[in-house]
Amino acid sequence: MVQEKAIIKTSSVKSLITFVKDIIYWNLSGGIGYQLYLCFLAAFMMFGIYAYMVQFNLGLSATNMSNIVSWGLYISNFTFLVGVAAAAVMLILPAYIFKDKDLYKVVIVGEVVAIGALVMCLMFVFVDLGGPLNAWHLIPGIGFFNWPSSLLTWDIIVLNGYLALNLLIPGYIVYCHYRNREPDPRKYRPFIFISIFWAFGIHLVTAFLYQGLPARPFWNNPLMGPRFLASAFAAGPALMAVVLIIINAVSEFKVEKQTFNKLRLIMVVSAIINLIMLFSEIFKEFYFPTHHSLPAVYLFFGLKGHNTLVPWIWSAIGMNLLGTLILAFNPGRNHPKVLFPACILLFLGIWIEKGIGLIVPGLVPSPMGEVIDYAPSWVEIGITLGVFSLGIFVVSVLLKPALIIEKRFEVEQGT
Amino acid sequence: MKTPIHKIFFFGILSTVMIVFSWQHSYAGQEGVQYKAKNAIAPFDDEKKMDSVPSLPDDSIMVTPKYQGGAFWTLTRKDKVERFKCTQCHNPEKNNTEQTVPTAHGDIILIHGGEEPLSCFTCHKEDERDFLVTEKGLKVDLDHSYQLCTQCHFRQAKDWVGGAHGKRVSYWAGKRVVKNCTACHNPHSPRFKKRWPKTYSLPLK
Amino acid sequence: MNPRNNKDCRKQQKDNQVEDNRCGRREFLKKAAKVAALGSAAMVTGGAAGWKVSGEEVRLRWEEYLKGYYRLMTQKEKDETVRRLERLAKLKRGVDIQMSNKEPVEGVLFGYAFNVTRCEGFMECVDACVKENNLDRKSHTQYIRIFEMEHGQMLPEQGNGKYYHEVPVPNHYYMGVQCFHCENAPCVKACPTKATWQEPDGIVVVDYDWCIGCRYCMAACPYWGRRFNWNEPDVPNKEMTKKQHYLGNRMRSRGQMEKCTFCIQRSREGKLPACVDACPTGARVFGNLLDPKSEIRFVLKHKKVYRLKEDLGTDPKFWYFID
Repeated sequence: MVQEKAIIKTSSVKSLITFVKDIIYWNLSGGIGYQLYLCFLAAFMMFGIYAYMVQFNLGLSATNMSNIVSWGLYISNFTFLVGVAAAAVMLILPAYIFKDKDLYKVVIVGEVVAIGALVMCLMFVFVDLGGPLNAWHLIPGIGFFNWPSSLLTWDIIVLNGYLALNLLIPGYIVYCHYRNREPDPRKYRPFIFISIFWAFGIHLVTAFLYQGLPARPFWNNPLMGPRFLASAFAAGPALMAVVLIIINAVSEFKVEKQTFNKLRLIMVVSAIINLIMLFSEIFKEFYFPTHHSLPAVYLFFGLKGHNTLVPWIWSAIGMNLLGTLILAFNPGRNHPKVLFPACILLFLGIWIEKGIGLIVPGLVPSPMGEVIDYAPSWVEIGITLGVFSLGIFVVSVLLKPALIIEKRFEVEQGT
Repeated sequence: MKTPIHKIFFFGILSTVMIVFSWQHSYAGQEGVQYKAKNAIAPFDDEKKMDSVPSLPDDSIMVTPKYQGGAFWTLTRKDKVERFKCTQCHNPEKNNTEQTVPTAHGDIILIHGGEEPLSCFTCHKEDERDFLVTEKGLKVDLDHSYQLCTQCHFRQAKDWVGGAHGKRVSYWAGKRVVKNCTACHNPHSPRFKKRWPKTYSLPLK
Repeated sequence: MNPRNNKDCRKQQKDNQVEDNRCGRREFLKKAAKVAALGSAAMVTGGAAGWKVSGEEVRLRWEEYLKGYYRLMTQKEKDETVRRLERLAKLKRGVDIQMSNKEPVEGVLFGYAFNVTRCEGFMECVDACVKENNLDRKSHTQYIRIFEMEHGQMLPEQGNGKYYHEVPVPNHYYMGVQCFHCENAPCVKACPTKATWQEPDGIVVVDYDWCIGCRYCMAACPYWGRRFNWNEPDVPNKEMTKKQHYLGNRMRSRGQMEKCTFCIQRSREGKLPACVDACPTGARVFGNLLDPKSEIRFVLKHKKVYRLKEDLGTDPKFWYFID
């Protein structure tokens, strides 16, 4: 109801300024549920900001990271979310290159989720920095940008580039739809091509961050890059499927079952490849365990009495397997009620396994053999919740107007 | 299959350049710091290169052997032994009986030599108490007591002269001053005593 | 935070057909933005500092914050930053320090050797290092770690770095690790701002003010040589070593990486590092690798030397040997 009013209420003379104004307006309007949801996210963001102020004052000793486990919850989430962002390519590729009609309809969701994930990634890196005020030291010209030697500089370039691509391409297309005209393919198609390769690039570069460290035998294997891609292409579409199910349920934007089927197929293939790679890693670590296998022993079975990660990794593998099986055998025939929990299971399983289950074992035991447990402190959890809320907020704030515009464009095109 | 000749040429040259470049780059890694060190044979003149080279401490004395850089010094012992000039007590005029041994030198515990321990007169010259004596009967001044240690501990002696054993005093540059054997090892019971560590390490953070 | 009744607010808005700024998210976010702006201004000028900060101190801190990359500074700028830091130490902590920014000496490449037979685990080196380099007493930071190893083991990973009992224990031996100042250092390669680099005399240094605290170098180091300041370091003024070097033992602040610098404040003056000087058994040897008459060259030539994790290709300048 309110949405129709919103459609009528927008100004007749459209420009970039009215575009922004309408985006803000569409977000401020909407049912009570939507307002409460946004307030809820804002509350978590405020708590995150408060926790960050505590961390800024005390230093990173407010977290439970130490000289041995020097990267914790923040970098775990960063690693995982880069994958989610990269997975937008799994929608872009069929939609724009293979001209798949169903996925073309929902590709905007993929791109907006990618934007949210990238914003979260950059925020996680920012809150993890010990000297965030010194971040300007990275700017080439006034600072020193150690490219191409340092992989972090590569990561900065590719993540920001991908954010720009994902903001500008859908932004241009949605704006054209807002202005009720077809977007000019010559303007965006080259960038679509670039963004496809770039998506693989962001995740390979993030994988290389870890893969390139000979000091960490758990990470220093050639399978990290491909494994990252496989798990990303399983977890990303899972999140997109969840978002689409929610959109299908609460808004007027309808998603067909074929779309879900296609997403499901992408997920199943990627998840199976991910499980094969997991098996390959487990074989390497446990067939003939060496000192280099100690991190894997710590992760799966505990080491010298330290076993905080053991229940997490086993439940992650269980969730991963269960989710993959449900999606593969498709008992609900793409019914959202079956897909929703299966996607959540797969997403959570990969979140644990690729997040905390990758970063912490890479750092434990220390290069001098010492083992220490890690569990995030309230500050870390608070900031993480805040950043997640920020990401979801960004996705919601961008997705609602985008869907409204797309729906209106569809209606006006008579398709 | 009509590949233009210039494309073949370009591809060929490019691949050759890449192969040569990567071969050079990989070969460059063979030269490590050990290679650099081995090949640095030019003498390093401490006085010329360093801004401030410390002067010899007052209590140093030149030792008889030479190390790979020429002469080196050690710290004197005579000024550090409390009761030196032994002839203050040990002379025909003064009291020289065995009853004074426990009161004067009762604090000395002699654990040196393992299965066949040394006795006092293995090192101390019986008739000239101010000096030490070698197995061959050579008189040795207290400041050059290292000459006695080298009789048995010739391996450590060689290392001490070269620099792998013992301690250099305060500076790595300038004239080489090292600690005497007896500066670290009590000559009467040279083994380092067991003790608690100065500090401890935390397991985390 | 602000439980406005959204229902009424929305209804009022709809009735009035006006974009009312007084309710809802927009107003709330505006307030939050103001708070954030004020907060960030406070952060830049002070952060953890007290409120009673003099104008001179604010100006000096601002200049220190805005200074560029040390390696690209002119000699004049380098001297200026050293003077500023000396003055700030006086204002902030009330201590008179002498900071130097002495350049490396030509023809010098530092090398270090550790005699595994002679180390008895006394940890005098650890204590001397903490005192000399002004390490944080609160978090018990130590650059050096001594491992108690059983006979038959070779690698410190199999040893015990947390012992605290009478030493030496029979059938055990002791060895110490610290930053090995690799010629091909992975930490130098990893740093995104090049805040850590290798000086011409071989010492791998950190410009603490340039470090952004990402800890990538810490993940890259195979020898656990680097430490991070998780909290603001606390060193009592009485115990502080007043002779400091810009790249060495000056006081760091939270969020900065630090590591052993072969006591750059001492070694560039021709003195031995504190650990070498403190060792009661003479287990540590230090000197100039390019000087054929140095002790370290004697050790490398005549002793059975080895380096840890040599297979990683880091080319460390820290050798171990047995007698």
